[in-house]
Amino acid sequence: MDQGSLIETAEELYESAPCGYLSTLPDGTIIRANQTFLTWIGMDRQELVGHRCFQDILSIGAKIFYDTHLTPLLRMQGFVNEIAFDLACSDGRALPVLANLVQKRDANGRPMVHRITLFNATDRRKYERELLLARQKAERATQELKRLNETLEERVAQEVAERLKAEEALRQAQKMEAIGQLTGGIAHDFNNLLTIIVGNIELLQRRLPEGSDRLQRAATHAMEATRRAATLTQRLLAFSRRQPLDPKPIDVNKLVAGMSDLLRRTLGEVVVLETVLGGGLWRSQADPNQLENAILNLAVNARDAMSEGGKLTIETANARLDEAYVEALAEPVPPGQYVLVAVSDTGTGMDKATMERVFEPFFTTKEVGKGTGLGLSQVYGFVRQSNGHVRIYSELGEGTTIKIYLPRLIGSDEEPAEMPSKSPVMVRGMGETILVVEDEPDLRTYTTEALRDMGYRVLEAGDGRGALEIVEQHPEIDLLFTDVVLAGGMNGRALSDEVSRRRPGLPVLYTTGYTQNAIVHHGRLDPGMHLIGKPFTYAELASKVRRMLDGDQF
Amino acid sequence: MSAVLKRNNVKVLGQGQQPMIFAHGYGCDQNMWRFITPAFEDRYKIILFDHVGHGQSDAAAFDQAKYASLDGYADDVLAICRELNLKDVIFVGHSVSAMIGILAANKEPERFDRLVLIGPSPRYINDGDYVGGFKQEDIEGLLDFLDSNHLGWSSTMAPVIMGNPDRPELGEELTNSFCRTDPDIAKHFARVTFLSDNRADLPSVKTRALILQCSQDAIAPEAVGRYMHQSLPGSEFVQLTATGHCPNLSAPEETIAAMEAFLSDPTPARAVA
Repeated sequence: MDQGSLIETAEELYESAPCGYLSTLPDGTIIRANQTFLTWIGMDRQELVGHRCFQDILSIGAKIFYDTHLTPLLRMQGFVNEIAFDLACSDGRALPVLANLVQKRDANGRPMVHRITLFNATDRRKYERELLLARQKAERATQELKRLNETLEERVAQEVAERLKAEEALRQAQKMEAIGQLTGGIAHDFNNLLTIIVGNIELLQRRLPEGSDRLQRAATHAMEATRRAATLTQRLLAFSRRQPLDPKPIDVNKLVAGMSDLLRRTLGEVVVLETVLGGGLWRSQADPNQLENAILNLAVNARDAMSEGGKLTIETANARLDEAYVEALAEPVPPGQYVLVAVSDTGTGMDKATMERVFEPFFTTKEVGKGTGLGLSQVYGFVRQSNGHVRIYSELGEGTTIKIYLPRLIGSDEEPAEMPSKSPVMVRGMGETILVVEDEPDLRTYTTEALRDMGYRVLEAGDGRGALEIVEQHPEIDLLFTDVVLAGGMNGRALSDEVSRRRPGLPVLYTTGYTQNAIVHHGRLDPGMHLIGKPFTYAELASKVRRMLDGDQF
Repeated sequence: MSAVLKRNNVKVLGQGQQPMIFAHGYGCDQNMWRFITPAFEDRYKIILFDHVGHGQSDAAAFDQAKYASLDGYADDVLAICRELNLKDVIFVGHSVSAMIGILAANKEPERFDRLVLIGPSPRYINDGDYVGGFKQEDIEGLLDFLDSNHLGWSSTMAPVIMGNPDRPELGEELTNSFCRTDPDIAKHFARVTFLSDNRADLPSVKTRALILQCSQDAIAPEAVGRYMHQSLPGSEFVQLTATGHCPNLSAPEETIAAMEAFLSDPTPARAVA
């Protein structure tokens, strides 16, 4: 083997180089092509050389590019480098290539021939596509970042506004809580005092000699004023969520329907009452007396806002408070199903400043002497204490809607409570023995005297220990009547538990002006426990004690 | 320089009075005319310009809405004429600019003396009996390829691949210096050009027109040139021996001779209907 055959010839290099070589006339006619190129596009030398133009074996995009860009460029600058386009192979495939073209010219500058070099750009095209995708992704990210930056100020302002709103709501809630504690404390002390006053006025009335009419009238006036004072303290307690509640399963539609006569009388002739009772209304659980009070209070406020006449609408419906709604509230309200009672008027409405304070006790827009400023406080306290929610909507000049949401009662077979009779029957004792436990001496005196007056035998104690001793010594006791809050370390509930161990089944009647204590969980009576709220009247006491001793269910 | 002249990179040369405005076609810029204009500089006022987005024009002036059809480009031609106070204008348009000239002449017929239309086509896509030279899917293929950014046309669109549109000098070093086109504008112009249909604008042309038809022109085949001739009232048709789509580059002498013959003939070929 001679040395020459080891060295590749120019011909070999031309034919088998890893790129396509072509020569064409200026009009594109192919005059020479190497084997690499022929293999790529799948054509024979004979069918190509002299018969076909370069632009004929290009994809359509490349063909247009050849005429619009490539030819002008070649003519003007004599070459083009790294043009990317696709060859149209004979089997229909498109082969991505990079092309370099050089135009050879004669002495006069006329184009003679084009030398074309083509590189297979399949891999490069894939890589380019990845680069382009990555760049598009980066551009999108940059755009997003830019957008975020542009809206930064706006979002901060929004965030701050939301924060401020939340703080304002919290402040409002804290204010209501503080006022609640204050009024609750005052009302509790006043109730004890009022009970003594009521008791002693009643005592005076019973003992006044015949014919002392003027003194009787004075006592009657005193009693009326005391009752009004008691109503006030009751409302204060309601607001502070410390009134003793007696929640029962209720049918709100029935309750509203039952109030229509009362409401019509209250509203007078200039205000039209419309009730829209929702069908299939769920049952709820609340103290029916207090719910009636709340609706009445709202009706009275509505009437006062419509002095020229108007329409009061009471609607009921099933409602669902969702997560989003309750999250926006300052006070904790669990999401879920509620029974809605909405009271709407066509009255004067109120502004935002008024709306913010409208539930505060003693806040009133009415003239002095026209209102106590406690009506809406009662509504607010009662609904909150019943685990419900109150919402107020108002537009100046348009009217006001107040919505009460009471939790739906689920899974109780209890029949809705009948409204309790409003006038307790006066009944007398038949010599039964009652143990009265009360640490406030004046109150104890009033109670024991009243009970004796009714015909009972009364034993008394000032604290729990004393009471237990008496229970030991007097097995004839028929009823334990005890204050919930007692001095001396043992409260009414503990005393009752002790007594029950010694005298199982002995009825216990509690009394209190205050409910945040052992007998009442979250403002509710424990099932099976009986309570008479302070201040109580002679008649109420008589009725309650009699029914307890008779074993009535109520 | 006025805003219009700057926007379209307008160049004015020549010693003559009658204005001759040259409009480049899709794919290049005013360099297209480098072999033609020297023949007319002594007798005419030569006006060269780049369409917005091409050559040295102000790409920032590109407005998708304005240039959504060829009308926007025709308005630019008229703006240049007004700016330079051109009258009796000889409009020389290559490829798509032939149609831009027809739109301009229809808008302001009094401004134009003659139209020289090199490789014109009123519609590139076949339509019933009409032969445009391209099937709908051909043009869609072209547009798809442009959209995929690969016709990379590395020369003219290198910045796209390099990922540095803010630094066109990177492309400059690597690729070709002529006929640079903003890639997004090039895609847009391709779409407007190859999807255009201006057949209805032909019969209303009042200006004398010369149609220069190349041999073996893949972009504007002879059938299209014949259609132009039939539809343009009073038009003249010259079949060049030059091949391809750019006789102004590949056969400047033949192109110049045909133009000279047309411009020196004082009488219209036939009465305008």
